[in-house]
Amino acid sequence: MKSMKKVVGPEYNLSEKIKTNVYAVGVAMQESVYPHTMTVFYPRERKKMPDNYRGFILFDPDKCISCFNCSFVCPANAIRMKEAPNKRYYPTVDYGRCIFCHFCIDSCSGGALKATKIHDVAYKDMDEMFTPTEEMIELPEIIREDKKYVEYEIEEDDLHLKRTKGEDYLFVEVPPPIQIPMVSQCIDRANCIGCRVCEEMCESGAISSSVENGMLRMKIDTDKCTGCGLCVKECSMQILMLKKLERK
Amino acid sequence: MATAIAIGESEWEVAVPEKPLKDKTYFENLKAKVIDTNLCSRCLTCASVCPGGITVVDNIVDFPDYETKCLDCGACVRVCPRFVYEPKSGLGDYIEFIAGRSKRFAGQDGAMVTELLVSAIEMGMIDRGLFAGRDEKWATEMFHVREPEQLAITTLGGTKYTFADVLPALKEAVMFTKRGVGIVGTPCIVSGVRKLQQEYPIFRERVKLVVGLFCTENFHYDDISAYLQNKGVDFSKLIKTDITMGKFVATMTDSEVKFKVKALEEILPSGCNVCTDFTAVESDASVGSVGSAAGFSTVAVREENAKKVIDFIKEKGYADFGEADTSQLDFLIGHKKKREENIKGD
Ligand SMILES: Cc1cc2nc3c(=O)[nH]c(=O)nc-3n(C[C@H](O)[C@H](O)[C@H](O)COP(=O)(O)OP(=O)(O)OC[C@H]3O[C@@H](n4cnc5c(N)ncnc54)[C@H](O)[C@@H]3O)c2cc1C
Ligand code: SF4
Ligand code: SF4
Ligand code: SF4
Ligand code: SF4
Ligand code: SF4
Repeated sequence: MKSMKKVVGPEYNLSEKIKTNVYAVGVAMQESVYPHTMTVFYPRERKKMPDNYRGFILFDPDKCISCFNCSFVCPANAIRMKEAPNKRYYPTVDYGRCIFCHFCIDSCSGGALKATKIHDVAYKDMDEMFTPTEEMIELPEIIREDKKYVEYEIEEDDLHLKRTKGEDYLFVEVPPPIQIPMVSQCIDRANCIGCRVCEEMCESGAISSSVENGMLRMKIDTDKCTGCGLCVKECSMQILMLKKLERK
Repeated sequence: MATAIAIGESEWEVAVPEKPLKDKTYFENLKAKVIDTNLCSRCLTCASVCPGGITVVDNIVDFPDYETKCLDCGACVRVCPRFVYEPKSGLGDYIEFIAGRSKRFAGQDGAMVTELLVSAIEMGMIDRGLFAGRDEKWATEMFHVREPEQLAITTLGGTKYTFADVLPALKEAVMFTKRGVGIVGTPCIVSGVRKLQQEYPIFRERVKLVVGLFCTENFHYDDISAYLQNKGVDFSKLIKTDITMGKFVATMTDSEVKFKVKALEEILPSGCNVCTDFTAVESDASVGSVGSAAGFSTVAVREENAKKVIDFIKEKGYADFGEADTSQLDFLIGHKKKREENIKGD
C-alpha cells in the first residue's frame, strides 16, 4: 500500500497575512485601472505569428517546373496537379484535406510555393475549399480591421501581452531554395522518331533541328534550356529526361 | 560553360525516310501510295507511332486536318508494311507444325493462342499480353492481360471477324513493360510489328512474343455487323463466330446462322483483297484452325522463343498435342496467293 501524504496549508503569521492581503487589494486596484487581459481582440487586433507559421499557401507559376514533388509528398493527398491551358501541370490545394504541414513548400524544387501567415479564410462549403491554381496566385481577399498586433512576452516569470500599433505583415520572406540546374537530355536517341514535338513545345528556343544529307539533326542548347521539363512530358517516345547540369 | 553531360545526349541524328512525292507531307505520301491505292490493310502500324493523329474515319485510315497537324516526321512511312509492299505467302519457315488443345482455357479452337501468351507470362518471358476482346455488340476492344486470372473474361479468347486496334495499344504496352510484351494478331498486324521492330529498338527489345493468326480476310465492323443483322443474327445472343469449310457460322444461344463465306465478298476490305499471307509467315508462332482436328488449334512454331513456350506447356502438361496436316492448308494458301493479281504495280 502506498503511503498517503497529507496536504497542509501554509502557515502565516499576522504580519504576513496583512502583507498578502494588501498585495491582493493592490493588484485588484491596478487591474481595474490597467487590465492585463490575455484575450486578443481579433479581428481588431491580430496575434503576430512567427515566421515559420504554416498558413495559406501561395503559388508562383513562373517558378513551377511541374515536377509533381508537392503532390507526391502531400501526406493528406490534398494536392492535385491539373493541366493548365499552356499544357503545364500546376498544383491545386483542397483545404478540406490539407493539414498545413507545408511539406509541399519544403519539397518544391522551384521555390514556387510560398508560406503565408494567413489562417483566417472562411468557406461556405467543402467544395469551395478546393482551391484551383488561379486562386493560389494572389492572396485571398481578407478584410483587415486590425489596428494593432499582439505578441506574448515573458517578464519576471509572468506572461504579458505586448500590443503594437500597425498591421502584421502576412507574407513570409524566405530565401529561395538552392536550385540544382537541370537540363533536358535525350537518353535513347535510337528511338527518336524525329517528330520535333519537343522543339515545338520548348518556350525557350533551346531545341533546334536541321536536315543535312538525309539526316535530321536534333540539338538541345543546354545554355538556353531552363529545365522546365515540357519537352520531357510531351516527347512522343518518352526518350527525353531532365538531368543535372554539373559544372566542372 | 563546361558541363558534365555525356556527349551525344544533347545532339543526335535521325534518318529521314525517302519521300517519293517531294513537296508533299509524309502523310500525303502514305495516302497516295497506300491508302488511295487500296493497299492499306488497316493494320494501324502507322497510327501506333504517329504523334499527330492518324486514325480510322469511315473504315478508311485517315488523318483529319493533316494539313495543319501532320508533323511531317515520316514515322508512318517508315513503319507501314505496305509502303514498300513485299507480299509474303506460303507456309513460311517453321521448326514444327503441331496440333494443340489447351486443358486450361476455352478459345476459338484449341485455345492455343491464349495458352501460349499465358504460359509466356508464367515463364517470365513477358509481363503482359495484348488480347483483342470485344464488347456486347462484338466491337473489338484491347486488353492488357497481366494475370492469368484476367482470362476469366470469357470474351477475350475467340475470333472476332472485325479489325482490332492491336498496334495502337502496343506503344503504351512497350513503354510500361518491365519484362516484355506478347502480342497476337492477323498476318498484317504481325508484319506491322516486324516493321516497328526493324525501325525502333524499343519494339525490338520489348516485344518478346509475336503470335500470328491464320487469316483469309477480316471485315470492317459496320459492314459485317449490318450484314449479320440482315441475316437474322441477334448480337445479344451471339456467342461465337467462325469460318469453317467455306461457311460463316454465327452461333447464338438458341440458334445458328450459316451462309457461304463467298457471299461476304461484297464487303471484303480492299486491303485484304491484296493480301497474300495466310499463315503469318513473319510470326514467332502462327495459330489457326485448318490443319488439325476439331477442338484443336494448328500451331506453326517458327522461332526459338515460341519453341521454348511450347516446351514449357508440354513440361507442365497444360495442353494435349497431336499431329497437324499441313496439306490441309494448301487450298487457302493458294487462294490467297492468287490475290497477288489484285496488287497493281506502281
Ligand atoms: C480475322 C480472322 C480470320 C481468320 N481466318 C482463319 C482462317 O481462314 N482459317 C483458319 O484456320 N484460321 C483463321 N483464323 C484463326 C482462328 O479463327 C483462330 O483465331 C485460331 O485458330 C486460334 O484459335 P485459338 O482457340 O488457339 O485462339 P484463342 O485462344 O481463342 O485466342 C484467339 C485470340 O485471337 C485474338 N483475336 C481474335 N480476333 C482478333 C482480331 N480480329 N484481330 C486480332 N486479334 C484477334 C484474340 O486476342 C484472342 O485472344 C482467323 C482469325 C481471325 C482473327
Ligand atoms: S526542358 Fe524546357 S527549356 Fe529545356 S529544352 Fe525542354 S522545353 Fe525547352
Ligand atoms: S519529341 Fe521525342 S521523339 Fe519527337 S523529335 Fe523530340 S525527342 Fe524525338
Ligand atoms: S505526323 Fe508523322 S507519322 Fe503522323 S502522318 Fe505526319 S509524318 Fe506520318
Ligand atoms: S497498311 Fe497499315 S501502316 Fe500502312 S497505311 Fe494502312 S494501316 Fe497504316
Ligand atoms: S487478309 Fe487478314 S492479314 Fe491480310 S490484310 Fe486482311 S486481315 Fe490482314
